[in-house]
Amino acid sequence: MTRVTVENVWKVYGDQTVLENIHFETEPGSFIALVGPSGCGKSTFLRMMLGDEAPSKGRILIDGVALEDEPSPDRGVVFQRYSVFPHLTALQNVMLGLEFAQSPVMGRLFGRKRREARTASLEMLKSVGLAHAVNKYPSELSGGMQQRLAIAQALIKKPKILLLDEPFGALDPGIRNEVHEIMLRLWREEGMTIFMVTHDLSEAFKLGTRVIAFDRVRNRPEEQKAYGATITFDLKVDGKSAPPQPPVDATLAAAAQ
Amino acid sequence: MTSFKLSSLKIFAAAVVAMTLAFTAISPAHAEAKKDFKVAWSIYVGWMPWGYAMDNGIVKKWADKYDINIEVVQFNDYIEAINQYTAGAYDGVMATNMDALAIPSAGGVDSTILLICDYSDGNDVIILKGKEDLADIKGQKVNLVELSVSHYVLARALEKIGMSEKDVTVVNTSDADMIAAWSTPDVTAMTTWNPMAAEILAQDDAYNVFDSSELPGEIQDSLVVNTQTLKDNPAFAKAMTGIWYETMALMSADDEAATAAKTAMGEASGTDLAGYEMQLAATEMFYKPEDYIAFTEGNLSELTTFVTSFLFDHGLLGQDATSPGYIGIELADGTVVGDESNVLLRYTTEYAKMAADGEL
Amino acid sequence: MRRLINRRPDVAARFGLMILPFVIVIIAYMVASDARLSVNPNDKLLPGWSTISDAIERMAFQPDQRTGDYLLWSDTLSSLTRLGIGVGIATLIGGIFGILQGLIPYFRASFNAFTSVLSMIPPLAVLPILFIIFGLGELAKVMLVMIGIVPFLIRDLALRTAEIPHEEIIKAQTLGASTWQIIIRIVVPQMLPRLIDGVRLSLGAAWLFLIAAEAIASDSGLGYRIFLMRRYLAMDVILPYVAWITFLAFALDLALRLFQRVAFRWMYRGN
Repeated sequence: MTRVTVENVWKVYGDQTVLENIHFETEPGSFIALVGPSGCGKSTFLRMMLGDEAPSKGRILIDGVALEDEPSPDRGVVFQRYSVFPHLTALQNVMLGLEFAQSPVMGRLFGRKRREARTASLEMLKSVGLAHAVNKYPSELSGGMQQRLAIAQALIKKPKILLLDEPFGALDPGIRNEVHEIMLRLWREEGMTIFMVTHDLSEAFKLGTRVIAFDRVRNRPEEQKAYGATITFDLKVDGKSAPPQPPVDATLAAAAQ
Repeated sequence: MTSFKLSSLKIFAAAVVAMTLAFTAISPAHAEAKKDFKVAWSIYVGWMPWGYAMDNGIVKKWADKYDINIEVVQFNDYIEAINQYTAGAYDGVMATNMDALAIPSAGGVDSTILLICDYSDGNDVIILKGKEDLADIKGQKVNLVELSVSHYVLARALEKIGMSEKDVTVVNTSDADMIAAWSTPDVTAMTTWNPMAAEILAQDDAYNVFDSSELPGEIQDSLVVNTQTLKDNPAFAKAMTGIWYETMALMSADDEAATAAKTAMGEASGTDLAGYEMQLAATEMFYKPEDYIAFTEGNLSELTTFVTSFLFDHGLLGQDATSPGYIGIELADGTVVGDESNVLLRYTTEYAKMAADGEL
Repeated sequence: MRRLINRRPDVAARFGLMILPFVIVIIAYMVASDARLSVNPNDKLLPGWSTISDAIERMAFQPDQRTGDYLLWSDTLSSLTRLGIGVGIATLIGGIFGILQGLIPYFRASFNAFTSVLSMIPPLAVLPILFIIFGLGELAKVMLVMIGIVPFLIRDLALRTAEIPHEEIIKAQTLGASTWQIIIRIVVPQMLPRLIDGVRLSLGAAWLFLIAAEAIASDSGLGYRIFLMRRYLAMDVILPYVAWITFLAFALDLALRLFQRVAFRWMYRGN
């Protein structure tokens, strides 16, 4: 079970402060939804979690150990786009993570190891409902199927933390609900910690066990550069660790505003 | 709709006419009496006087005398000058007798050698790397401009020592790159001409094993003009002859004007007076009309057959040629070497004689 | 009347319009050629069809008197061999350096400016140096073709590599890939079709450099023959050779395009 500690994290680009003094800690198995207006730095925060960027001040700890400063297999990711590799079929996309681990030089598996990896990958594809499309290339899949593939590809590595950067933003509402269900089921089965960036509040409250909002407190033009966004509210969504609640109520959403 | 089709047809016709005009812009010079003449020349020791004559008003003086206009145009590329003449864009060109026969004459353009400026007397050289005997060339790759005078010199040299072209491999090499080519290790034999030859021979391991002084009179650097143009415009021939011998008299004198002229010619060819004098030493200039007349009325028919057999062996007399005599060559006395019914190259001393007699 | 940009020819009209320029050029050639031949039946500049077909017959289907070779085919073989080796080496170097330059910041820092400057040097202008280094034989010709196109291939592929979405590279790292694994499993497979695009674009330049190399020092090849024939204005041979080179270039381009479609189906599936 993984505990994430974010200690007084700042992010500054040149003289532009993006994030200031972000400070929180998560319970094991949390599903954290990060919300806020565009440009509030929530994606920047996710990139720091990935190790793609380093905090300017402060640090992020996983189970008390400082984060590696580059992406690693303990943190999986699903982006809104470009999460899967266009030149590989669905099956090859999922197998890739297993091949990287077991074949440092060729990056490919053969024989028995390959059959094992294939079986595990087919299982994973089945659990995201892509059993019928294992030999298709991403360009032949719909947007929802591509995101399900990306999730399967990330989960085959059994990451401690899964980072989602507006993963469902480009999907139609019906498809989105379908993927939500799959996501929640996998989260419960795998027991990992999830950080999801979204600009959709109802999605945040539907999926998250905790909703953290980033926003700028000082918005006067002359203050824009010197002050960044920080946590403006941090809400626990009750009863979420067990079966998720049906759609969020409107009053809570209003309170969030 | 009909009008649309009609206008399309008109556009089509117009396009055809426009394209045709583009092609016929390079149509042959129609022979008739005319006033404007163009002559092409390229840099070579024996032809430098033409550039000097153009720059110093000698051309204009003679053209004015016969009430015509003559433009002597310098080409950077020797072959391009001959091609332009052959295609009909120029009335005359400076070329060797061999190239005159192989390009304009073989291309059906009846041409006359109005005068010979000089013959090569050592300017074309076979050079070996580290070897001093021509026979050592056997089995080597020889870099030269294929089908040029260099190639001819090589073929004649091999013939003289009982070998043939089969004993060597010829590698076609651009004349502009000869000096650079010589400094590479895989180039061991070369045939080229001055000034490149002199530059290469200045290096330690380069030996002159054969040069054109052993082929006297075979390589004639000539003024070639279109025969029909010549017939219709004797004034053009007279003016060109006058220009040449006036310039010759100027540069062959032993005074300051001669030195100044030769310095200018040397500089125009990319060297200096000393370098130009050195090239002149390997060149038999025809300074006086009498020299030219004596040469042309000498053993020309024998010299000519060497050239025609080389050209025939290399397929340069045209694909229809059945013998070295396929193209007839009319000598100055009216006798014809080769096929009398297919005379396409002529020698004449008519105008040189006028110059000798002071009648120009 | 609709705007010109909205008016489209139907199939028949499109075909007609496609062949129209060719027809115009051919008719114009015939008219001009006839005009010249009527003045001088031996004219070499614009030979008639029969002269040209005789020349084709002679070059392609009769052995040469001196060497016994069928000249068109032996020239084609020499030229395609040189072109193939030159372009092949250039593709390999372009692929390796392009990917490294596009992907590895330290490599880019060291080579980016260098290849940019290198690509500005006109190779024909430094020929004497190439001669001294590579001699005057086959190697020099292959190297001229190679040097002529490799800077373009490197720069093109470096740009394409840099255009791979950053998300993909991050994703591969979260799947545990090392730099080497990213190169062989993610970057190389995606860059091969781009490399073929680059090769297709540089083939024109490759032909140019090949023909220049053959014009300077050679004893066989399509460019060699053209420049040799030019010495005596044998347009009856030069014109078919030019047409043949054009055809070969077109066929090579088509072959690469087909290969790309078959070998990299993922680019063409779906969407």
